Amino acid sequence: MWLKLTGSTLILAASIAIGFHLAWRYAERPRQIRQLLSCLAALQSYICFSAMPLSDALRLCAGGIEGPVARLFHLTGCALADNVQLTPQQAFWKNYQDMRKQLMLEKAEIEIIQLFSTNLGMLSREEQEKKLIMIQGQLQKVEQEAITARDPNMKMYRYLGVCGGLAAVIMLI
Amino acid sequence: MDDCNIMEKQICPVIAPRIAVSLQKLPTLHKAQITEIRLRTGLPVLTVMGITDSMLTEAGNPTENKEQALICSQDDLLRTMQIISRNSLYAFEEELRSGFITISGGHRIGVAGQALIEECHIKSLKNISSLNIRIARQVLGCAESIMPYLVTDEGKALSTLIISPPRCGKTTLLRDIARQFSTGLARLKLPGWQVGVVDERSEIGACQNGIPTMDLGPRTDVLDGCPKAIGMLMLIRSMSPQIIITDELGRAEDGAAVREALHSGVTVIASIHGSSHEDIKYRPHVGELIQNQYFDRYVVLSDRPKLGTIEQIVAVSSGDNLYSNKGGIRICG
Repeated sequence: MWLKLTGSTLILAASIAIGFHLAWRYAERPRQIRQLLSCLAALQSYICFSAMPLSDALRLCAGGIEGPVARLFHLTGCALADNVQLTPQQAFWKNYQDMRKQLMLEKAEIEIIQLFSTNLGMLSREEQEKKLIMIQGQLQKVEQEAITARDPNMKMYRYLGVCGGLAAVIMLI
Repeated sequence: MDDCNIMEKQICPVIAPRIAVSLQKLPTLHKAQITEIRLRTGLPVLTVMGITDSMLTEAGNPTENKEQALICSQDDLLRTMQIISRNSLYAFEEELRSGFITISGGHRIGVAGQALIEECHIKSLKNISSLNIRIARQVLGCAESIMPYLVTDEGKALSTLIISPPRCGKTTLLRDIARQFSTGLARLKLPGWQVGVVDERSEIGACQNGIPTMDLGPRTDVLDGCPKAIGMLMLIRSMSPQIIITDELGRAEDGAAVREALHSGVTVIASIHGSSHEDIKYRPHVGELIQNQYFDRYVVLSDRPKLGTIEQIVAVSSGDNLYSNKGGIRICG
């Protein structure tokens, strides 16, 4: 009896944890996109108004933000400072690969990041500003989609976790 | 840093890896003699040694045969620009408008491409198709032989204009003159002067974070990256130098600033492009400095028989030719 009770509790706990983790992913995605937007806005200022070298601008634009997105920008800046032969695209991609488990970004955002890192730093200030504004516009659209998808999906995965666990326990008992 | 190390440590790291690898394979003697590296899209990589040049093969040998030469691609040029600007070309817009970027070590990289014009001014350069990497070298003591001509018998430094065509060692000579005046002239038993250098293109002192990487002597203040005309007046007001040294006069405001400095009792040592003082007499803006004899000495440089040869030293007020290149003394380059 005790064995059944312990097993059922464990199954229920695991199922709820999986459900809540999947729900958290949906909550985390718009938050990370917002951080991405915040870093890009700061980067735009450092590039267009201070004409700061890209490696410094990338490191500084993540200031005051916690989490994997800020780390992605900071590490990319560090990589560019350490190896001048590295392109921003290579640096972003390498750091993205290293951190992909912590980043809740999906294909749409990743494509936008790739587009953003292409030619980054190799355009004039005016062109760079136009491109950064365009990238931010695209990301804002993706953020809206992510927010719209967040609430129903969060609820669904939480219920699914609890209900799925209970169903498994009932079937086993 | 010796000449070969300059190539290895300062020049090769800023060139596209494909070309840098071949440059590194060049014989040591050849590497030490390179004064310029020319990269042009779709054309062979050229290494210039003074007044001669040779193409570079992929295996790192000099050649005269175009078929064997390493061809510089558009991608090589873009990669080089990307490395030079440290992925921040937008931070070099002003330099690109002037047509060159100075990198760490004081090496000047000339840029040519398609100019974008806005309201009769160059807005930017795009489609960059040529780069000329000019290697700056410090030649300590190269000004020693001319220093006695640049001071009076009473030990006063004389205002001097160094006249030279491009690539004849103007900046190298100016750098050593700054060092010699700042250190003091032991041979003439003269103590050091307070020297101010206005280094608009960061070539004389090759400053990094405002600190000169070249030896400019113990009494030298450097105003790095500052326009000459503003810088000269700033130095007079703030650092009270006895001698001001600056490179490549040319604009109207440069002439006015030199005049103001000279009237303030400061000795000015400057350089200008030209082949003789007669040659630059009628140049706009700076020609007036020659016509009104603002300087005390003209030092004329040439590349005959070799780079950095003193062609002539003229005492302006008397018109005497203090030195004329008959035997040829090579002082730098």
